[in-house]
Amino acid sequence: MVYEALDFYDLDSQLTDEEIMVRDMVRDWVEDEVLPKIEKACSDGVFPDEWRVALGEMGVLGAPLEGYGCPGLSYVAYGVICRELERGDSGLRSFASVQGSLAMYPIWDFGSEEQKNKYLPKMATGDLIGCFGLTEPDYGSNPGDMITKAEDKGDHYLLNGAKMWITNGTNSDLAVVWAKLDGVIRGFIVETGDEGYSAPEMTGKHSLKASVTSELVFQDCKIPKDRILPGVEGLKGPFSCLNNARYGISWGVIGAAQACFNSAREYSLSRIQFDHPIAAYQLVQNKLAWMLREITKGQLLALELGRKKDNGSWIPEHISLAKMNNVDIALQIAREARDIHGANGILDEYCIMRHMANLESVKTYEGTHDIHNLIIGRHITGIQSFTRSI
Amino acid sequence: MVEIAVLLKQVPDTNAKIVVVNGRVDESAIASWVTSPYDEYAFEAALQHIEAAGGSITAITLGPARADKVLKDAAALGVTKLVRIWQDDWQDLDSNQVQAALANAVTAAGVDLVYCGKQSADRNQGSTGPGIAEILGAACVSEVSESDSAGSYLRPTASGSERVTVSSPAVVTFTKTQNELRRPNVRGIMMAKRAQIEVVGGDVSASQVNFNGHSSPAQKPPGKTYEGSESVPEVVGLLRDEAKVL
Amino acid sequence: MDITIIAETQGDNLHPVTNQLVGAATSLGASPTILCAGGAGADTAAGIAGVGKVLSVIGDCFSTFDGGAWAAAFDAAAGTGVIIGAASAQGRDVAARIAARRGIPVVQDVVAISQGLTMTHPIYSGKAMQEVTVGDDCVVTLRSNTFPPAGDGGNAESATVQQSGDVKIAVQEAIAKASARLDVSDADIIISGGRGMGSPDNFEHLYALSDKLGAAVGASRAAVDTWDEIPHSMQVGQTGKTVNPSLYIAVGISGAIQHLAGMRTSKYIVAINKDPEAPIFKVADYGIVSTWEEALPILGDEIAKIL
Repeated sequence: MVYEALDFYDLDSQLTDEEIMVRDMVRDWVEDEVLPKIEKACSDGVFPDEWRVALGEMGVLGAPLEGYGCPGLSYVAYGVICRELERGDSGLRSFASVQGSLAMYPIWDFGSEEQKNKYLPKMATGDLIGCFGLTEPDYGSNPGDMITKAEDKGDHYLLNGAKMWITNGTNSDLAVVWAKLDGVIRGFIVETGDEGYSAPEMTGKHSLKASVTSELVFQDCKIPKDRILPGVEGLKGPFSCLNNARYGISWGVIGAAQACFNSAREYSLSRIQFDHPIAAYQLVQNKLAWMLREITKGQLLALELGRKKDNGSWIPEHISLAKMNNVDIALQIAREARDIHGANGILDEYCIMRHMANLESVKTYEGTHDIHNLIIGRHITGIQSFTRSI
Repeated sequence: MVEIAVLLKQVPDTNAKIVVVNGRVDESAIASWVTSPYDEYAFEAALQHIEAAGGSITAITLGPARADKVLKDAAALGVTKLVRIWQDDWQDLDSNQVQAALANAVTAAGVDLVYCGKQSADRNQGSTGPGIAEILGAACVSEVSESDSAGSYLRPTASGSERVTVSSPAVVTFTKTQNELRRPNVRGIMMAKRAQIEVVGGDVSASQVNFNGHSSPAQKPPGKTYEGSESVPEVVGLLRDEAKVL
Repeated sequence: MDITIIAETQGDNLHPVTNQLVGAATSLGASPTILCAGGAGADTAAGIAGVGKVLSVIGDCFSTFDGGAWAAAFDAAAGTGVIIGAASAQGRDVAARIAARRGIPVVQDVVAISQGLTMTHPIYSGKAMQEVTVGDDCVVTLRSNTFPPAGDGGNAESATVQQSGDVKIAVQEAIAKASARLDVSDADIIISGGRGMGSPDNFEHLYALSDKLGAAVGASRAAVDTWDEIPHSMQVGQTGKTVNPSLYIAVGISGAIQHLAGMRTSKYIVAINKDPEAPIFKVADYGIVSTWEEALPILGDEIAKIL
C-alpha cells in the first residue's frame, strides 16, 4: 500500500528544499527499514540497535542544535523529522526526542565546554546514547518535590534516589539526572558504569513496546565534580528540555494520526459490506472527514509553532497547547480508525492498535494532558491551579 | 580516474495517478516528483564506480526549475557538478531533440562514460541512451544489471546474460541492479543547499514529431468468472489477445 | 510507402514477432524489405506473406551485439522510408541509433499505427497513451503480440549484402539464464499460492509454471504462517509486500482483505479457486472455478504453446 501523507492544505509546500529533503530521507527510511520490522520489535519488546545506527548516520539526532557535530537544522525541520519517525512508531520518535531534546539539549545549553566536546559529537552520531532522569516513582507532574538528592563530598558528588519511566535508560551510555543539591535542582551527567548507578528495564508495558523504559537507581552513586551542568539551577533546566521535546511531540503525533487515517481510508475503500465499500456510507465518511479536519488543524498548529520556535516568538504555553491538542486528536483518530477497521483493527497487520496504545503513553508523558490544560488555564487567568494553596 | 556523466530525469512518482485532461496528461495534478527509478540505479552504479576508481560525476537533467530537485538529491550524495538544461518547449521535445540537448551537455562536461536509465518512467521510450551514443560516436551497452569499476557490464541476451567490456567513451543504460540505493544524510543535505546548478540552453533544432494528444488507456472489461479447468485455454487466449500480458 | 523491417532473430532463426512486424507493414499497404542480421532466418523471412524482398546483411559485426555497429550496417543496407523493428532491448537500441544517424524521428513501443504516419504508444507504464504523427522517413519499433502476424506462403526474392560496423563491445563471458528465483517486488508476472495448495511441496507446481513465464512466486499470509518452508519474503499483502505486476495469478487463495491490499492494483488478476464464493473472484479479471490440480497442468501447457 502506498503511503500518501494526508496534507489537505498542502502545508509541506511551505517547507524549504532542505526541509523537504530531510522529510524524504526520513520517510523513505521509515518506509523501508522500520515499517517492515516494527511489529516484531514490539512483540519482542526491543528497540533494534540498527535503528540507533541509522538515525546517527542520517544525522537527525539533536537536529536543531548547532555546533559540536550537530547539524543546526530549523525547528520546523526537527518537527518534520519527528512527524516522519512517529508515523513509523511513537517509540522510535521517543528515542530521538530523548536523545536530542532531553539529553543532548541540556548539555548543549547548560554544559561546560569540556562536557559539550566530550559528549555531543558522539551523541549526534548515535555512538553515545543518553537518557533524561526527572520523573520519580512518587513525583511525576510535580517534579519540584523530587526526592533524589546530591551531596557535595569535596572531590565528588554523591547521588541518592530513583527515577522512573526513563526512555532509553537501560540502553544509555549517560543519563542527564536532575537532583537537589542543597535544596536546589541541578543537572548531573551520570555515566553507565559509575559506582552505585544502575538502570533496570521496566517490563510489562502494553504501550511503546519497541522503546526501552527503565528505572534509574542511585545508591551512594559517586560522580566526579566536573559532571554537574554549570549553566542552570532550578526547574528551568528540565523544563527547557521538556519544551523542546513537547514541541517535537506536537509534530510527531501528527505522523501517527496520518498513518491511522491513511490506513482507515484505504481499508474503508476496500472493505465491502452490504454490497458497497464501507467508505460509501455516511457514518464512515463522517469519521474520515472528522479525522481530516483534526489532522489539518493539528498540522497548522505544529507548523506555526515551528515558525515561532525558529523566530523566537514562542512562549511555553504555545507548546502546551500544541502538545495537548495534537496528542489528544491523534489518540481519538487512532480510536476512530480502529472502529473503521472493525475487528481487523485489532490485528498487528494494521498499525492502528499499536499507535493507539502508544498514544496513551504520549498523552501522559512530557506533561500530562491535564497539566497542559492547567498551564493554559494559568495563562488565561493568572491563577495557578496545580496546588490547593493559591 | 574516471569522469562519468549521469543523466537524471525528473518524473511523476511512479505510484502517482496519471490523469488526462483535454488531451494532455495533467501534470498539475502530480503531487510528487522523483528521479526516474532506472536513473537512480545508474547513479548508484556511477557513485560506486568513482569510489573505486577515483574521478567525479557530473549530474545532468533536462527540465523546468522543479527538476533542480533531482540535482540537489545528487548533490546530497556528494556530486558537485550539476547541470540543468532548460528549453522553453521542454515538454514537447522529441527524442532526437532530447538526445541532442543531452549530448551537448555531455560533450561540455568532457566525460569518459555516460550512465543513465534504460528508459524514463514517463515516456518509456528507451531512445535516449543509444541515441546519445550515436551522436557521440560512442558505444552503448543497454539494460545493464551489474557493473564494476573495471568497466565490465552484465547485459541481457536471448539465452541469459553476458558480461561485456566496452571501449570508452561509452554510454551505459541501466535496468534495476542489486545495488541498494543509498540515502543522503543531513550533512549531505546541508551541502546540497549550497550547491550551484549550472543552467544551460538546449540548443536543438526543430521537432519532426507532431504531438496529437494523450489519452487514457482502454478500460478493462469487467471481471468474469469461468467454470471448470476446461476454460483455461480460453483464459490464456484472453490474457494474450485481450489483456496482452503474455 | 517504403518500409524496411529489421528482422528480430532468436539465435539463427526468426523470432515470431517478425511476422507481426510484417503484418503491420502490409496493413499500411507496403511490400516490405526485410533485413536479416548475418542472414539469420532469411529463408523463413522470404516465406512470410507480403514480403517484397529479403536482404541478408552479412558482416563480422554480427557476431556480437553492438547497437552502434549494427545500426551502421543496417543504415547502409536500408533504403529511405519507414524502418520498423521490434520493441525488444536490441530492437530499441538499434532503432534509436539509426534514427540518430539519419536525423529522423524515432517512435518506440508502438501499439497502433496508421497511414499518415500516426502512431500510438504507451507512456507512464501504460497509465496513458500518446499519439504522434511523423513523416514517411522515420524509425518505429512495435510492441510484440499487438499486431496480427502475417501468414506463410510468400516467396520473396533474396539477396545478400556485405556491411561492416565498428564493434566496440567485447563479450567476456556468456552466462546461462540464472535459475535464481525472482523476488515478487521485481517481477512483472507473479504466481501466488495460498493455503489451498494443500502442502508446501505443491508450490513446486507454481515454480514450474513461473520458470516458463519468467515469473516470481508469491504466497498469502495463510500459506506463510502455516508452512515454515514458505518464507515471509514471499508474502504478498498487508504485512508482506505490495506488488503491482502486469499479471497476478492467485492459486488457492481465498482473497482475505489483507491479501487484496497487497495485490489489488495488479494490472490483470487471474484467480484459480475451487470455491466459487471466494472473495478473490470479486477482484479477478479472469476467474477460473477449478481445483488447482486440474487447472495448473492445462495452464502450463497452454502457456508453453504461445511463448
